[in-house]
Amino acid sequence: MKVKLWGTRGSIPSPGPETIRYGGNTSCVGVTLADGSMLALDAGTGIRSLGLALAAEPARLHILLTHLHLDHIQGLVFFAPAFQAQTEIVIWGPSSPEASLRDRIARYISAPLSPVEVRELPCDVSFRHCPQTEWEIGSARIRAASVAHRGPTLGYRIEDGDSSLAYIPDHEPALGADLDALEEDWISGLGLARDASLLIHDGQYSDAEYPDHLGWGHSSLSHAISFARRSGAERTVLFHHDPMHSDEQLDQLAAEASERWLALGADPAAIELAVERAEYDLAVPAPSAISAS
Amino acid sequence: MTQQKPLELILARNLMSALSTPAFLVDEGGVLVFYNEAAGALLGKRFEELGTVGAEEWGSLFGPFDRDGEPIPYDELPLVIAVRNGRPAHADFEISSADGARHQVEISAFPILTAHGSQGAIAVLWPASSNGNGALS
Repeated sequence: MKVKLWGTRGSIPSPGPETIRYGGNTSCVGVTLADGSMLALDAGTGIRSLGLALAAEPARLHILLTHLHLDHIQGLVFFAPAFQAQTEIVIWGPSSPEASLRDRIARYISAPLSPVEVRELPCDVSFRHCPQTEWEIGSARIRAASVAHRGPTLGYRIEDGDSSLAYIPDHEPALGADLDALEEDWISGLGLARDASLLIHDGQYSDAEYPDHLGWGHSSLSHAISFARRSGAERTVLFHHDPMHSDEQLDQLAAEASERWLALGADPAAIELAVERAEYDLAVPAPSAISAS
Repeated sequence: MTQQKPLELILARNLMSALSTPAFLVDEGGVLVFYNEAAGALLGKRFEELGTVGAEEWGSLFGPFDRDGEPIPYDELPLVIAVRNGRPAHADFEISSADGARHQVEISAFPILTAHGSQGAIAVLWPASSNGNGALS
């Protein structure tokens, strides 16, 4: 399984000279499975670049949405494969008692917010609510579970051969809870992340910022570190950067994360901040960042 | 590896932990999976001391008793009605704490219904000796 980060930012795209290293595109992670199947985790603005990279290939691909906040779906109408008739796209997401996944996404892909409607997309697109039980896509087994965020929100676990990826980009597991003291089965999302080869997890706020954002659905650095430690994941990538955080501020958070990881007796290289276009090969026993180009 | 609790139970426990009103939580099978500190104060025993209690067992741990002092059948407890029938229920009765003291309480229970069906039920107790805020005086 190979993983590439196409958008690492949360909330709103934040392009500019101050975010050029970590990136300004919102959430999107490309996953290539061992059998060549392609997944996109979320469809923030980063999916536009993913689509351009795929454009030359006729594709059948699956988009797994964690939830329908705009920073996770905004790129859908700029995803080039959606405008190719030979492409088949399956969009998975959380169910809601209010409306179907298709109808909820169509609120965005419709006038006046969008120049095209869902029914006008040239590709073969279908929408599926994630089942409660594990299912298969290509060579992978997929599991989705509700996690603590605002509105119906999922986290995902993808297992392909001996490697596993946990993707929980929007998550506030410490809301009203002490992550260091709780039993494991009472921690939101921990079942998805347990012993994962790679955990991609919300790390939006510094500890100083979190008190002003209590209940907004995101983690502080301390909470993300506690969650990662409890999960036993081999490697952790902190994701969904706050749009107000410059590269310099994120450098400071990265340094703090490594120091605190080391203080816990772990390898400081096993925790890092997400960098747009960074790639990970999970077939390698100890996952390592290959490049950021 | 233990099965992770449904998110709705996790959030319910987190909320109950912050309340000064005694509250109880059962899972979809009726197993008592949590009660908060206020409930522990009322019962004279913290949840951590008692731990998870199976369905049918917890109903007799602390009574409850009707106005005539007779034990109330398990099937008639509001929390059991809520989790089994998927509807809210209310009652008033007496419970017995660990030290033998009796407390008159009102109890309201409601099911935790989700898109995937019932995940359990919550019961909130209102002790007759409360201070008007639901907390024990």
